[in-house]
Amino acid sequence: MNKKELINKRIIKIAILSSFTIKGIKETLQVKAAKTNLLTEFYVGGYNQYAQEIFDPNSALYKFNPDLIIIFLDTIAILGDHYFLPYKISDKKRRIWTDEKIVEIANLAEKITETCQAKVILHNLEKPIYSPLGLVENKQDIGYLESIEIINNSLRDRFKKNNQVYIFDYDAFCSQIGKQNILDYKMYYLGDMKLNLKYLPNLCDQYMAYVQSIASMTKKCIVLDLDNTLWGGVIGEDGLEGIELGPTPEGRPFMEFQKLLLSLFHRGIILAVNSKNNYDDAIDVFENHPNMVLKENHFASMQINWKDKVTNMRALAKKINIGLDSMVFIDDDHMNREMMKEFIPEVTVVDLPKDSALYVKTLTNLKLFDSMIITKEDRQKGQMYTEEKNRQKLAQVAIDLTEYLRKLKVKVVFDKPNPVNIPRIAQLTQKTNQFNMTTKRYTEEIIGQFVKDKNYQVIAIHVSDKFGDNGLTGLAIVEKKDIRIWRIDSFLLSCRIIGRKVEETLLAYIIKVAKSNKAHFLRGEFIPSKKNKLAEEFYQKCGFKKLKNKDKTHVWEFDLKCEFPFPDFIKFKINK
Amino acid sequence: MEKTKNLEKLFNIISRILEIDISIINSKTSPDNIETWDSYNGLMMVSELESIFNVHFTMDEVVGVRNVGDIIKALKKHGVDL
Repeated sequence: MNKKELINKRIIKIAILSSFTIKGIKETLQVKAAKTNLLTEFYVGGYNQYAQEIFDPNSALYKFNPDLIIIFLDTIAILGDHYFLPYKISDKKRRIWTDEKIVEIANLAEKITETCQAKVILHNLEKPIYSPLGLVENKQDIGYLESIEIINNSLRDRFKKNNQVYIFDYDAFCSQIGKQNILDYKMYYLGDMKLNLKYLPNLCDQYMAYVQSIASMTKKCIVLDLDNTLWGGVIGEDGLEGIELGPTPEGRPFMEFQKLLLSLFHRGIILAVNSKNNYDDAIDVFENHPNMVLKENHFASMQINWKDKVTNMRALAKKINIGLDSMVFIDDDHMNREMMKEFIPEVTVVDLPKDSALYVKTLTNLKLFDSMIITKEDRQKGQMYTEEKNRQKLAQVAIDLTEYLRKLKVKVVFDKPNPVNIPRIAQLTQKTNQFNMTTKRYTEEIIGQFVKDKNYQVIAIHVSDKFGDNGLTGLAIVEKKDIRIWRIDSFLLSCRIIGRKVEETLLAYIIKVAKSNKAHFLRGEFIPSKKNKLAEEFYQKCGFKKLKNKDKTHVWEFDLKCEFPFPDFIKFKINK
Repeated sequence: MEKTKNLEKLFNIISRILEIDISIINSKTSPDNIETWDSYNGLMMVSELESIFNVHFTMDEVVGVRNVGDIIKALKKHGVDL
């Protein structure tokens, strides 16, 4: 872990106090916390020293300055002699004894709240399953098992309104495991272990909910992608009518996901957008889609542009004026998520499953926003940020993506057209809008004719990276009628692979082929459409000179005496 | 075959819990020459061995273990081929 991460990550300090040998809990909890990216520090109280440590304001416990104090009192220790000889005393005395125990246990937690700010997890008592009275146990004025129930109920009631002390229902935990199994007698006698070691992970899972809750008090903001996150499909490709959002099987997951986000907004979570899109396309959905649950005014800030998401994330943090470590990023695109993890490790990145049907489940399972207290002010926070929306322009922080792309291990395979891929090639010409230089739509038959015609070359590309296969996602059709001047008729890339230097790779290949065929110039055209603004400057960036504007068409030319190398970190293979 | 497999399993458990290299484990390995073999790790080993080899030791057996050789004897007594 690098230094920056350590500085930005909050360390959760956990103290564990108990009436018995507590070894193992710390180790297990530490591992579980690390798995969720939480740093923890532990203080383990001395064997049965809990009362002294709690009542001495100068004790090592308070010097440790814990965020969370777990008090694990086991029934055998608390009951002492009563555990085996409960009916040695009268019912009347038992009532007095019960009241004393309630005060004794409650005092521990209350003393802590007087002394420090730490949250307290106070175990209740495991109610034993054995009573010497057997069948008539519950015929007593106040039975032995009943007295434990009374203690547990009183503790629960006593701390209902307390925001610092949380009663952990250990009795319910034991029931869940099975009280028959909870104690391994041999280990109990050998090592005073009151909980079978194999159930420590289960117990620590329960603790983790509290730990995460404490850690998440700093999580304030959800930053959302749009395409395939808030709605199904790509607005720039599918249009307002084409995206999935509404009361259909495909649209409902997105609609309900939005409702859930709205409910988080209502409890004070700030929402923001970080999306690669044409701003107008995206805003059109917010303004005009009938099934949009979230509206523009629910978002504190929106970064909708073609910049990389890391730059946009930093801009959002500045605009909203919150720390990157309090932001949670939700995006369906694996590459965007990995990039975020790589460049801004402080941001919590949610691993959204591929199946949109699981979006709601994923969000409800996030314990990130699960704070232990919600105030009225908290509930209004999302609203507040929205109202104070800060629209000032910010200097953009550029980052070096080359290093990231290198790690991404992009592989491009140049494919010859064949009967299997021709339908996909035709589909690409028909569906691709954004990175499409000429937006010429072709049927399978026409593609078939291009393939047979010696004056044309059809180049399809298959793109994969370390996260998986993107499939056949790019295409160029080159006209070679004039041997000296080749012309690119179509050049397009599916939007999911844009910006990974794949476009340069495809162009480099065309240039290489043209050079080896002794062509002198390569011409490319850009025909503006409503949606392809993104591709407008591509030829210019690649060293083409503008020849002329013919009607709306921009004609560009590349002098094949010039070099155009393949991006060196992209692997490619040419299929014959 | 089964014999070497079980011995490997046993040594793996010991190595993992005591955080020592598997190559230094032999029948003479004991709390006297391994610093990490304290009473807690001793119990951890009992718990792991019981669950992996599906046996149950008596308290006397646990208390009677002085070194790895004794663990092997105890496992054999419970029918584990070692």
